[in-house]
Amino acid sequence: MSQLDELRQIIVGDNTEQLSALKDRIESVEERTRDVSEVLAPAIDATMRRDDSLIQALSDPVSESLKRAIRIEPDAYAEILYPAIAPSIRTAIAQAISSMLATINKTIESATTVGGLKARFKSIRTGVPYAELLLRQSLLFRVEHLYLIDRDSGLLIGECGAEDQGLMDSDAVSAMFSAIQSFVQDSFSGREDDRLTDFKVGEHTIWIAHGPNAMLACVILGDPPAALKIRLYETLESIRIRYAEQLQHYDGDASQFARLDDYMQPMLQSQLREEELPEEKPKLQMGPLLVYLVIAAALGYLIFQALDRESKLSTLHRYFDEAPGVVVTKANWQDGKIVVEGLLDPDATLPFKTLSAHGIEQEKLQLNLTPFRSLETEMELRRFEKELDPPEGTILSVENGVLNLSGRASVIWLLRHDERLRQLQADRRLGLSNLFATDGSLNSYLATTLNIPAGPGRSEALAKLSQTPWVEISFTEILRDLLRSNRR
Amino acid sequence: MQKRKICMVGDFAVGKTSLTQRFVNNSFSEKYLTTIGVKIDNVVVDDTKLIIWDVAGRDSLSPINTNYLSGAAGIVMVADGTRPETVESLHTLAEMVVEKIGQVPCVVAINKYDHNAFKLDDEQQNKLTSQGWDIFKTSALTGDKVPELFQVLNNAIGAVTSVGEEA
Ligand SMILES: Nc1nc2c(ncn2[C@@H]2O[C@H](COP(=O)(O)OP(=O)(O)OP(=O)(O)O)[C@@H](O)[C@H]2O)c(=O)[nH]1
Ligand SMILES: [Mg+2]
Repeated sequence: MSQLDELRQIIVGDNTEQLSALKDRIESVEERTRDVSEVLAPAIDATMRRDDSLIQALSDPVSESLKRAIRIEPDAYAEILYPAIAPSIRTAIAQAISSMLATINKTIESATTVGGLKARFKSIRTGVPYAELLLRQSLLFRVEHLYLIDRDSGLLIGECGAEDQGLMDSDAVSAMFSAIQSFVQDSFSGREDDRLTDFKVGEHTIWIAHGPNAMLACVILGDPPAALKIRLYETLESIRIRYAEQLQHYDGDASQFARLDDYMQPMLQSQLREEELPEEKPKLQMGPLLVYLVIAAALGYLIFQALDRESKLSTLHRYFDEAPGVVVTKANWQDGKIVVEGLLDPDATLPFKTLSAHGIEQEKLQLNLTPFRSLETEMELRRFEKELDPPEGTILSVENGVLNLSGRASVIWLLRHDERLRQLQADRRLGLSNLFATDGSLNSYLATTLNIPAGPGRSEALAKLSQTPWVEISFTEILRDLLRSNRR
Repeated sequence: MQKRKICMVGDFAVGKTSLTQRFVNNSFSEKYLTTIGVKIDNVVVDDTKLIIWDVAGRDSLSPINTNYLSGAAGIVMVADGTRPETVESLHTLAEMVVEKIGQVPCVVAINKYDHNAFKLDDEQQNKLTSQGWDIFKTSALTGDKVPELFQVLNNAIGAVTSVGEEA
């Protein structure tokens, strides 16, 4: 035993055995492991209670080892984690699908409407793919809820919107809007007319239109176009006009606001169409335009008709006046017919052909014409032609407005019409000073009827008669002359 | 359904929110979460829907925002029975209310009646009753006199409006 060992024994006593046992314990790995395992759990507990240094120390190795473990055995971990994460995945997917369905529904809806056609056209015009346009349009915004709120009390007067918005009690929402209003007013300016009009909550935009007694709050999903705000104010305005009295004295009894829905509902239905609104606004509305067109057409037709009737009357006047033997004293339209009053010579021919060429049909005419004899030369001429049937060699003519029958006619004809001719001449209706008898007929008349034998007397008489207009011929005188010359 | 706006007013931490929650949800919390701005709840009493505006309490730093009061059909004024100064301030509160919205039916709750520090001397009580107010010694914790508080206020409002209609 060394001196040192002796000294140690003197100081610490005889515990060499204990020491060597300790030494063994420290040097043996198994012993040490057992020792640490005994204190590990309480030690972790203690450090955790003290501070988070252990967590910090462990976080990196733990996450590293987890990563490695998952990489090696992903299935096992997925199985373990599944019950924990599946529900949340499910709800997330359900949400995504339901919103996608809403979009698809809307897309299909608009694809089959006028809006869809418009979009198609716009797509051609702008070159933006049709589907993209539709989606954009469909996703743009949706009016979800409208609240008509009493301005003073914040009490809800009426509301309208989809049921399943998951919003809280409408009365509370309504009061909240009003409270926010007061809060903002109080915090910012304290002035009554400084109002909160727009705000956003997540994906929702809330617009509030203010009237003197009520405000109309509109909850919109997405980005609404500015034109919608005009609609909102118009809606409030029409409500204000319709329910002026009730709004002023609202005391929480909404039953006085019957049919309020009629005013609010259109806002909800407007939805996607609104996007087109700003473009459409300045355009002339189709409805009124049609009415204007119809009115213009009707007016035009009336004017045309009046003009047409007038022009037909004047056409009728013109041609009737030109026609001989017709005197029109009055002509006007009655029940779609032209009633003509005046005088008509039975010998006159009415110019029906000409009139029908001007669109005036014969059956359109109602003639109330009194028969009369027209002394117009034209008429006389026609009448005489008909009555006398002037033989060849004679001519009926008008000279200086006077009718003349001139030429040479057979004695037989002359005798047959003798009385009438003389009467006409006496009436100054017919000039006969150039009407002679033909030589041949005179000769045979002298020979056969008057039994004047041939001879110088007859030749003389014939020569004289031939130069004498018929009406001036006096056969008695001729016979007397003949007798006188025979006696000689 | 007939609706009425009711406002809870009073100094901070007197128990406005607690009284409202006791009445509406029949619940109570020891925790004090001061109300900021206003909190709105509603409850149906006798076929009438009361929209209760639980307004933030008043203190020396923030006077109540009287804008919240407009259109109220009735007022619940709340004081804390363990803090006499909150009872005193009811009078100035009442003035503010009248100035903002005129005379409306009003009830007074002296709250925390369950608390052993609760104390309301005769002088204080007389001063309150002389204003014509109905006084309730309430406890949001036990629910004592809470339904009565709102019931009486609702009846008072009903009486006022039916008188108004007859006139
Ligand atoms: N013992 C007891 N404690 C109460 C009672 N009512 C309210 N409290 C307690 O008082 C504290 C304030 O209550 P609130 O209801 O928040 O008071 P408040 O008036 O709404 O306060 P502000 O919103 O800050 O104005 C809370 O800790 C409540 O638990 C009561 O009746 N009895
Ligand atoms: Mg509170």
